[in-house]
Amino acid sequence: MAKEEKPKIKMAVYWGAACGGCCVSVLDVHEKLFDVVAAADLVFWPIALDIKYKDVEAMPDGDIDLTLYNGAVRNSENERLAKLLRQKSKILVAYGSCAHMGGIPGLANFSTREELFERIYDTTESTENPDNIRPQPEYKVPEGVLELPEFYNDVRTLNQVVDVDYYLPGCPPQTERLVEVFMAIVTGAELPSKGSVVGALDKSQCDECPREKSDKKLVKRFYRPFEIEDDGKTCFLEQGVICLGPATRGGCGVRCIEGNAPCRGCYGPPPDVPDPGAKMMSAIATMIDENDPEAIEKVIDTIDDPAGTFYRFSLPGSILRRKIT
Amino acid sequence: MEEEKRIGVYVCWCGTNIAKMVDVVDVAKEIGKLPNVVIAKDYKYMCSDPGQELIIKDIKEHNLDRVVVSACSPRIHELTFRKALQNAGLNPYMFEMANIREQVSWVHTDRGEATRKAKSLVAAAVNRITWHESLDKRTVDINPATMIIGGGIAGISAALEIGNSGRKIFLIEKENKLGGHLAGVDLTFPYMYSADQILKPLIKQVTNNPNIEVFLNTQIDEVFGYVGNFETKITPGDGKEVELKFGNVIVASGLKPYDPGGIENYGYGKLPNVITSLEFEQMLKKGKIVTKEGAEPKNVAIIHCVGSRNKDYHEYCSRICCMTALKFSNQLRSALPDTNIFECYADIRSFGKGCEEFYAQTSRKDIMFLMFDQKNDLPRIRKAETMDECDMLIEFNELLSGEDIEVPADMVVLMVALEAQENARDIAHAVGVSMCGNEFYIERHPKLDPVATTTDGVYVVGGCQSPKDIPDSISQARAAAARILATINIGQVEVEVTTAVVNEDICCGCQTCVNVCPYTAISFDEEKGVSVVNEVLCKGCGTCGSTCPTGAIRSRHFTDKQILSQIEGLMSTSIELQEV
Amino acid sequence: MSYEPTIVAFLCNWCSYTGADLAGTSRMKYASNVRIIRVMCSGRVDPTFVLSAFKEGADGVLICGCHPGDCHYHEGNYKCLRRYHLLQKYFQQMGLDKDRLRLEWISASEGRQFAELVDSYTETVKNLGPCKMKQVIETLT
Repeated sequence: MAKEEKPKIKMAVYWGAACGGCCVSVLDVHEKLFDVVAAADLVFWPIALDIKYKDVEAMPDGDIDLTLYNGAVRNSENERLAKLLRQKSKILVAYGSCAHMGGIPGLANFSTREELFERIYDTTESTENPDNIRPQPEYKVPEGVLELPEFYNDVRTLNQVVDVDYYLPGCPPQTERLVEVFMAIVTGAELPSKGSVVGALDKSQCDECPREKSDKKLVKRFYRPFEIEDDGKTCFLEQGVICLGPATRGGCGVRCIEGNAPCRGCYGPPPDVPDPGAKMMSAIATMIDENDPEAIEKVIDTIDDPAGTFYRFSLPGSILRRKIT
Repeated sequence: MEEEKRIGVYVCWCGTNIAKMVDVVDVAKEIGKLPNVVIAKDYKYMCSDPGQELIIKDIKEHNLDRVVVSACSPRIHELTFRKALQNAGLNPYMFEMANIREQVSWVHTDRGEATRKAKSLVAAAVNRITWHESLDKRTVDINPATMIIGGGIAGISAALEIGNSGRKIFLIEKENKLGGHLAGVDLTFPYMYSADQILKPLIKQVTNNPNIEVFLNTQIDEVFGYVGNFETKITPGDGKEVELKFGNVIVASGLKPYDPGGIENYGYGKLPNVITSLEFEQMLKKGKIVTKEGAEPKNVAIIHCVGSRNKDYHEYCSRICCMTALKFSNQLRSALPDTNIFECYADIRSFGKGCEEFYAQTSRKDIMFLMFDQKNDLPRIRKAETMDECDMLIEFNELLSGEDIEVPADMVVLMVALEAQENARDIAHAVGVSMCGNEFYIERHPKLDPVATTTDGVYVVGGCQSPKDIPDSISQARAAAARILATINIGQVEVEVTTAVVNEDICCGCQTCVNVCPYTAISFDEEKGVSVVNEVLCKGCGTCGSTCPTGAIRSRHFTDKQILSQIEGLMSTSIELQEV
Repeated sequence: MSYEPTIVAFLCNWCSYTGADLAGTSRMKYASNVRIIRVMCSGRVDPTFVLSAFKEGADGVLICGCHPGDCHYHEGNYKCLRRYHLLQKYFQQMGLDKDRLRLEWISASEGRQFAELVDSYTETVKNLGPCKMKQVIETLT
């Protein structure tokens, strides 16, 4: 815990393309908030504090000790703030799956901007848009020019836009992990090397998973969770249910699995795995208990959406990053 | 972060083999500009003694810690250069080869493109080698026993060679007696020695040799282990399981005759007097050449290349049938002086010592030689009419005269092809040897290493490698025996260390890898909760490495990092070589 | 099409790489677009390698292993086959043509088949045009 006389650190939290869950996870520190506030001044946090961008712009470079950037980079505003906060921060943390790997917003990389606009502004059942109005970055009105951030074609991870010091994964990160990392920074503990993933384990989910595991991972067909009666105790993979646990870092407390849902990979890959989806595809395909091409195809047909399954949280951060057209 | 590497790159001319199609000087010059490359040279013959000396001298003078040689296939000279590194005090695995001969100069025709491709392959090797790590060679003791699969003339010869020198032999034979095909042969070409007189004393020697343990009626299932330390379980005819341990394996499992029933033209199986060369050999052995009706044949036709040298059957030449056919004519002529003998052939192949002379000699014995078109016009055999005064008629276009002819025959001998054994694939799997498309086993190198295989400690000899005659089979058998005796004499052998290894700090215990290993080298350590690789059983295929979803399994010398950086290097120069 | 594709090929050491060597020793001529990476077994080919090749600018990826039943390591090629099929489905979702990735069995004696495969596959990839993956990745906004 920080001592009284120690100067408080300056901390910022920002959300890019995010759902808000990460910000809530910061709030979830509950009574520990007092420790946080005792040790840090929150100088910028749009969801909680009324501090304007121009106030941040006015800060000297490197003035903020710690910035937690959550959310992916999806529009020009996200990018501008990412660059601004990078400039103003000593330590920039990609906080949560979206900043880390693209997260759920990253699934938009299966579509182009135009496809998304068409769906949102034309074809959704509840939309009536006979004039084909689309958002424009600039719009002239008698009073002047209205501006909207530019909606990009691609979703990017934070480190594809700016230099990132640490990654704190999760959708959202477990609050306990955040507190641990925060305390390490304020108490001046020795920090891991730049670029490290913090607040997560090196070992993947299976290490903590309470389910019974064996080497009998041979699959004749795959099931989506609702298609099978889970016995509640056997490894999901051995039941033919795709679980990304083996290619996903531990540290979340295996909460999905404890809730009888297979792991979807929000904690990201273990060290030395550049692309968890590729590794998981390799492992899963290897489990297919067929050698004949047609029989193999049949088993693979039972995997509805491989790209969306294996890259649920990691598409923009994966090797191929997006669908090409 | 990354420490500096000191790489030496050597681009080989291979005389003109490479230099003619690849601008080796330019390759060396451009590669010399890459990061970490301390020196890059081109030289006439890198594999020559002066070539290797050049590397050794540079390692010492320039303090190199890694060496890339860009030359022929690593399958030919990787070991040569690894040894050179070792002589210079470097770990042999700090070496990488770029194959710019087999994969570039010999297969491409545009010098510019070939040079560009060569640069990209060398750049890939340079990139890869920055991630190479020293691996310590493991030395293991050689179990002086040898297992020989197959008790034909090749297996017997090898067994005697090794057994007579005082070393233990386990001789495995699937039939109920030793001798193989030779046991069914009457006389041998070209000197007409009796096969029995050759074979029987050898079998007796085998049976009497206390070092040679013979297992009849026995098949090989799976062989575990590695050079110097193999083991297997066999169940001989008596049903009792025996466990064998041995240091080397000779595969002498032979071959089998082709079943000519599939060639409609010849009517084998339908026309009773159409018989195979093996069936005729048995007749000779019994000393009685008669038709199914029990009569002496007035006309005997011998048809060559049955199932050989034809795309529809086997493309290869079965090698011994021509001479066997001539031998048949000789024996026929002695036994039945008045019988008409027709040799219907495609080409007569009478290579080998004494064989051409034998052909000439035979051709003077009133034998009719008729040539047919083996590729497009096989002879057709049909039952003759009563007025033809013979049992069958063989019809074909005789190539030398150009005439369509009919050959009378009371007996037709089909010189059937020789093909791989029924269980060739099983044995290949059991001992880990590769097969050609026609299921004969592949030697380590067709010219330089004809009896070893790519699996250390496993040798292939005799007919299982390709059809061959007795002297060739025996030569191979004895060559393999000599190789094995040499390793036994040294007592130890170095084994591959490019095995898989589990990082216990990363392995999460999902056990996906366990069943992937074909050698049961991976087991799960319940206590630690991690997978463990038994390096003795691991053969380094790397499949577990690409299966492991956590990245905990590293395939030594083929690590993800090494291969990924190789890809990067390969592509960095696909357009233009980037300068530093 | 005037462009020359680059094809990254992963060849298993025992069958396919030896087959490619045989094409060389037999002086068979084939297109120079293929760059070979040797792995001990086609079972070693990690999908990560294939994706990386595209990321680095490959226009096509070729994987060659021993024929089914002939794998030097018994069944590594089957593991490869299973991954290949799953990768193909993933590729479709990523907008990559299925012909960008090819799996073929080449034995140690099939030098001619290897040379013919390289020629025909080069032609296939040429007809597909350049793969845009690398460019797309580098210009994400």
